[in-house]
Amino acid sequence: MLVSYPGPWTPFFGRLDAQQIPLQNPILFWTFVLVSLGGVAVLAAITYLRAWGSLWREWLTSVDHKKIGVMYCLLGIVMLFRGFIDGVMMRTQQAMAVGPRSPGYMGALHGYLPPYHFGQIYSAHGTIMILFAITPILVGLMNIIVPLQIGARDMAYPYLNAVSFWLTAAATGLVMISLFVGDFSHAGWVGLSPLTELAYSPGVGVDYWSWAVQIGSIATTLASINIIVTIIKMRAPGMTWTKMPIFCWTALSTSVVGLSSFPVFTAAVALLSLDRYAGTHFFTPGLGGNLMLYTDLFWIWGHPEVYYVILPAFGILSEIIPTFSEKPLFGYITMAVASIAIGGVSWSVWLHHFFTMGAGPGVNAFFSIASMLVGIPTGVKVFNWAFTLYRGRVRFDVPMLWALAALVLLLIGGLTGMMLAMPAINYTVHNSVFVVAHFHTMLNVVGFACFGAINYWFPKVFGFRLDERTGKRAFWFFSAGTFVLFGSMYALGFMGMPRRIDYIPFPSWRPLLIAEEVGIVLFVIASYYMIKQLVVSIRDRVQNRVTSSDVWGTARSLEWLTHSPVPFYNFAVQPHINARDEWAWRREHGRGAESPEHYEDIHLPINTPLPLILGAWTFALGFSLVWRMYWLAALSLIAIVVLVIARSFQDDPGHTVPGARIREIEASYRNGLEPAGAAGDGAGGPVAYPGAVASRPQDNVPARP
Amino acid sequence: MAWRNGHAVRVLRFAWLPLLDGCSQKGYWLLHPKGVIARTEWHTTVLDVVVMGVVVLVAGGLVVAFLWRYRAGNTLRRYDPTFTASLVLEILVWGVPLLVVGYLSYFSVKSVFATNPYDPLSLRHALVRPHQADQGLAHRASPARARTTVPGAQEAQPLHVEVVTTDWQWVFIYPQQGIATVDDLVVPVGARVKFDLTSATVVNDFFIPELVGEIDIMPGMRTKQAMIANDTGVYHGYSDDFSGGGFSWMGFDVRVTDHAEFRKWVRRVRAAPDVLSYARFGQIARPTINVAQRVSYFSQVQKGLFDHVIERVMAGKVYRTPLAMTENMTKPMKVRLIP
Ligand code: HEM
Ligand SMILES: [Cu+2]
Repeated sequence: MLVSYPGPWTPFFGRLDAQQIPLQNPILFWTFVLVSLGGVAVLAAITYLRAWGSLWREWLTSVDHKKIGVMYCLLGIVMLFRGFIDGVMMRTQQAMAVGPRSPGYMGALHGYLPPYHFGQIYSAHGTIMILFAITPILVGLMNIIVPLQIGARDMAYPYLNAVSFWLTAAATGLVMISLFVGDFSHAGWVGLSPLTELAYSPGVGVDYWSWAVQIGSIATTLASINIIVTIIKMRAPGMTWTKMPIFCWTALSTSVVGLSSFPVFTAAVALLSLDRYAGTHFFTPGLGGNLMLYTDLFWIWGHPEVYYVILPAFGILSEIIPTFSEKPLFGYITMAVASIAIGGVSWSVWLHHFFTMGAGPGVNAFFSIASMLVGIPTGVKVFNWAFTLYRGRVRFDVPMLWALAALVLLLIGGLTGMMLAMPAINYTVHNSVFVVAHFHTMLNVVGFACFGAINYWFPKVFGFRLDERTGKRAFWFFSAGTFVLFGSMYALGFMGMPRRIDYIPFPSWRPLLIAEEVGIVLFVIASYYMIKQLVVSIRDRVQNRVTSSDVWGTARSLEWLTHSPVPFYNFAVQPHINARDEWAWRREHGRGAESPEHYEDIHLPINTPLPLILGAWTFALGFSLVWRMYWLAALSLIAIVVLVIARSFQDDPGHTVPGARIREIEASYRNGLEPAGAAGDGAGGPVAYPGAVASRPQDNVPARP
Repeated sequence: MAWRNGHAVRVLRFAWLPLLDGCSQKGYWLLHPKGVIARTEWHTTVLDVVVMGVVVLVAGGLVVAFLWRYRAGNTLRRYDPTFTASLVLEILVWGVPLLVVGYLSYFSVKSVFATNPYDPLSLRHALVRPHQADQGLAHRASPARARTTVPGAQEAQPLHVEVVTTDWQWVFIYPQQGIATVDDLVVPVGARVKFDLTSATVVNDFFIPELVGEIDIMPGMRTKQAMIANDTGVYHGYSDDFSGGGFSWMGFDVRVTDHAEFRKWVRRVRAAPDVLSYARFGQIARPTINVAQRVSYFSQVQKGLFDHVIERVMAGKVYRTPLAMTENMTKPMKVRLIP
């Protein structure tokens, strides 16, 4: 064996044995019970509703960008919830374990979580929130909205899109199963080096982390490629670069950032895995290894990654604010330039995450200035949004509330970001909860934008509105929670409180920790209202049906031209673009969507279970590598390679939906009915359309500029 | 600290400090620096917050004002959807952030040099002009406590302390005095203290909020830090970078004493029976959670121990963390707790 680690190893099960299922821990036991009950209930419900067939045909095997987008969002929201529970647990531990006299429960010296459990929770929280919650939600939103905004039938590579999704799902699965089989990493979402080395983390936790993020980052790289190509190649005729909605600009910028930075992370984690599996010394302290190399590589990805998540959020704000101000976006060109500039500068600032490593003042000064430069385009954006409101007619619908609060948070996060970017300040707050408060302010900008986006585009995708009353309550509680929790956290930063401590040695920190706990209670209430909002909206979906294509009445971009819910073919007729805000232009010129005499046949890709199968094998690969079941790893790797090669030989003829069928669907939309099978039923699947004929792709090329 | 427009900073302070002072005097360590470096860092913070605060308030104010004025219900206000571009505003929205960032960059560079852990200029200034060094915020804020000089700051020979972190304790070596301690750092007030730092295992971060900002401590490498403490007292130091199960307990007290007392303390440590050899260090470096911050003293230190630790780590020496002390959930943690 190349490396040594404690514990037994058998050829068949690797490091896995029955003891690795930590059911003696009451927290994990009850989580396990709850998750199992929930899982059984869901499976039973699907069976009861006889939904397996349609679930399989319409969702699991779908290559439709809207369905994949919805699945991405669902995955992200589920993980958001998981990450949130982690957050509640951490806050509770920190509120309890204050001072040497605080009591301990369940094996902990203080509080209820021993250090090794607390370490896993915050590592899982960070990894999940950034990579498996926010990122999937954003990729999902881009998936749904980008093709609609540029008037395309689908993404450039529908099959690749499904592969990205299922790889993300596989990675998420790995994180989730680490709850019940073995342990998760304790070395933070950043994978603190050399703590991640086998000598200091001999368990399987770091392996779970590394394979999950590895698979997840490959998936995101693929998604970035897809979005870039889609935006460059698939814009509707007439949509020049300067007529493209800002959300697409940010999606483009973010995907370029993603494509160029995620591979660095992949490489860094691969080298770390070599250290852990093959006994190399890339990042070890001794024998020629360089642990700061890991830190460098990580942040060369890590910083762009945080911009990867903020840019689409900026795009979302740039869509919501004009709609509810009844005005076009102020300074469109500036906004587009700023989006690209933020992406560009994000490349040259990574060292600000370790100003304290003892680099010379010249190095720190350079990266300090570079970091502050990011503030310029960000400031420009804020001013432009402000001037969008100027002389507008501002309505405070739920999406707008989220967007405006995001703006406020952005200002606060920008201020603290500019503080952190000064090394002399950074020395006093680096690795303290001040940093945690900074990036939670910023990531809450993203979160708020996502909630805004969900409220904003939900009617477009599902054809009915989300309930307004509960939505507003959720908003107010969430905002209050954010300000109470992170306000206290900033103050604790000035007290010098380090991040990631499971025991609080100084009782003077207690009052603010209790305030944070109050904040988390507000979040709990907010999530109750969020769930209620969804339940109420689904219950009242018939009253909340959307009959027009534009629910808000003042939306501006192309996605509001087509029906709600969007039919599987997106646009019955390829739209031609006349103006920057195409839908607003058409509304003002009294023109809706074209309704021609004769509908063309529409050609669409065929559904395929292959991405799901690839995802399943990838999960098996990750799981077997974690437990060092090398036979299974080899088998899964071979299966993946064979499947990928086999697929490349397979012709995807696509299928054609005849014009007559399109006419039927369009007619029923116009009669105010939700047409059977337009949004759902086997969209994209040849089975669902008896009249559909398989044809060669070149017969009827999907819309291209 | 010698800002050229230190006066402006001092004036601006009045706008800002009462806010935080109002909250609580106790516990906000960064707001009440007791060391030259920490004070420079706090000055920089105040300046940055004031400048950025103005920008943020203007931007936020604009948003709020526009929201109020142009709310849909307010039909008296002009509605003009064609107002989507304006050269003057464009120049302003790019120009103002540019100027602000330019201004802050200048200060950032200055303060980087002032607090550079390897050779902090603010210490030099403090040594050259002790009377000015004290005109910082904290002392001006409470004239009653003001002391015009940093006592002993003229001292030529700085005190040298070598810091080695283990899992999860601090070893402080005083090579000039030939003594060492675990988890006890004592320095004389007003004296320049130079630290050399390394780790035997994973990365830690050396931080004494009231005295000096952070510097990473990395295995197989040497980093440096320097400080002057202005006031006698007991301060808290701890690791600020997660290093495993015992991280939360990785604290130590920093006792800043007058010179006589420091000498007395050195004599006491010299009387300790224990001696710090490399072998003894190996015992200390075994993963230990020093829950009660129990200190140990060593009357002698093997010569070159600090360098030896670095060299051994570079040559591949690792102090493994046992499975039961990492993220292992199945077997309860067996920790060497020092009661
Ligand atoms: C005005 C722009 C910004 C500046 C100048 C800035 C500056 C910084 C600096 C200097 C740090 C390092 C702090 C430290 O560890 O000592 C940091 C950390 C961080 N920032 Fe920002 N930031 C900005 C915007 C953002 C945005 C938009 C996001 C993402 C949504 C973000 C997310 C983060 C995260 C996640 C971390 C810390 C990660 C970690 O250590 O775990 N920041 N920021
Ligand atoms: Cu960054």
